[in-house]
Amino acid sequence: MAALLGVVAGSGHAADAGSAAFDPKDFSGTWDRYSRDPRAPNNIPVSTRIPDPPLKPQFVEAWKIERKKYADATAAGEPIATGYTHCQPDGMPAMMMAMFPMEVLQTKTQTTIIQEAYNQVRRIYLNDTLPPIDDAEPGFWGHSVGHWEGNDFVVETIGIKPYVQYMNTPHSANMRIYERMRRIDADHFEDEVTVTDPEYLTGPWKWTWVYQRRPNYKMFEYVCEDNREYADPETGAARLRIDK
Amino acid sequence: MKLRLLFPSLCLALVAGTAVAHHSFAMFDRDHQILLSGTVTKFEWQNPHVYIHLTAKDAKGKTSDWLIECANPGILNRVGWKFNIIKENDQITVVASPLRTGEPGALLQQVKLADGRIMENGGPAGPPKISIVDGKPLPGAKPTTTDGSPP
Repeated sequence: MAALLGVVAGSGHAADAGSAAFDPKDFSGTWDRYSRDPRAPNNIPVSTRIPDPPLKPQFVEAWKIERKKYADATAAGEPIATGYTHCQPDGMPAMMMAMFPMEVLQTKTQTTIIQEAYNQVRRIYLNDTLPPIDDAEPGFWGHSVGHWEGNDFVVETIGIKPYVQYMNTPHSANMRIYERMRRIDADHFEDEVTVTDPEYLTGPWKWTWVYQRRPNYKMFEYVCEDNREYADPETGAARLRIDK
Repeated sequence: MKLRLLFPSLCLALVAGTAVAHHSFAMFDRDHQILLSGTVTKFEWQNPHVYIHLTAKDAKGKTSDWLIECANPGILNRVGWKFNIIKENDQITVVASPLRTGEPGALLQQVKLADGRIMENGGPAGPPKISIVDGKPLPGAKPTTTDGSPP
């Protein structure tokens, strides 16, 4: 199913999409995650379902237990506090799910992506080289370089902190996130994401996110100032701080 | 499973939606929404959530100091709110989903402002299931208690 969706969401549909003129190398502007009803008569693909990570057999059981722990807690009305509870941003690759609108700024040497939620910023340096893994200081968004392959903007990212995880998926310092960003038409682009990790994954972990233009939108600031939700120190469940 | 077969597009739309919640709202009981009317004592317009402090009587006539959790300023701006849309001493009515713990905290579903306007809390919080006018279940919504006491 994931493979089928991957084909639907992949390249080859640009000619069928909207007819308004656009520069295929221009991603600038503000964008939302795209969410229209896939049954509507329109050629724009929707974002693909994120498949389970292809973890090596020795990591699968622990991952399933971790996922079940979160799902069971939510079903029981006792959701487990997450990084968000502690005002931590998504980091990569989760930032690109575009929880809130995102803004893309392009210069000849750098593409900058700003996600409104948590004021997240990633800087993608064009025609630059990544540092060796041992020199890549780990962070939430890591280190990214990009180049053009035809009209595809191809980005490679390393240096994500071990606990900055997407879908509770563990990773090593050797995780690499590859992205292919393509304009679909005047008002849409897609980001085909491929995660590799020779230590944890058996092969590439792939999905595609699709975005639609949000015209004339001005991004809001976002300082995670004071979350009244907190983690119960004993159970880890999310609680609400109510003044007495 | 039947639901999935009947509404496959809905399932996909949920997977792909822009209305991505920060986190689970499962600490709030959205199946047993309550109606509260009272006086705003504080309005906190900040991330990651906006909060209304409300001294309110529930349907049983008990007065409590409630903490009402709302979405964040970005989401609320996008559905028509403003940073100063609620002020101290405003008389407002809310439909809210109470904490399962029984503490006086709740997730906002809908608010009737002092000037009579009715505002929503954005997509991730979900819709109200009871009427903000009389607390009765809305057509199509699942049965719910309206006595104002946590379930």
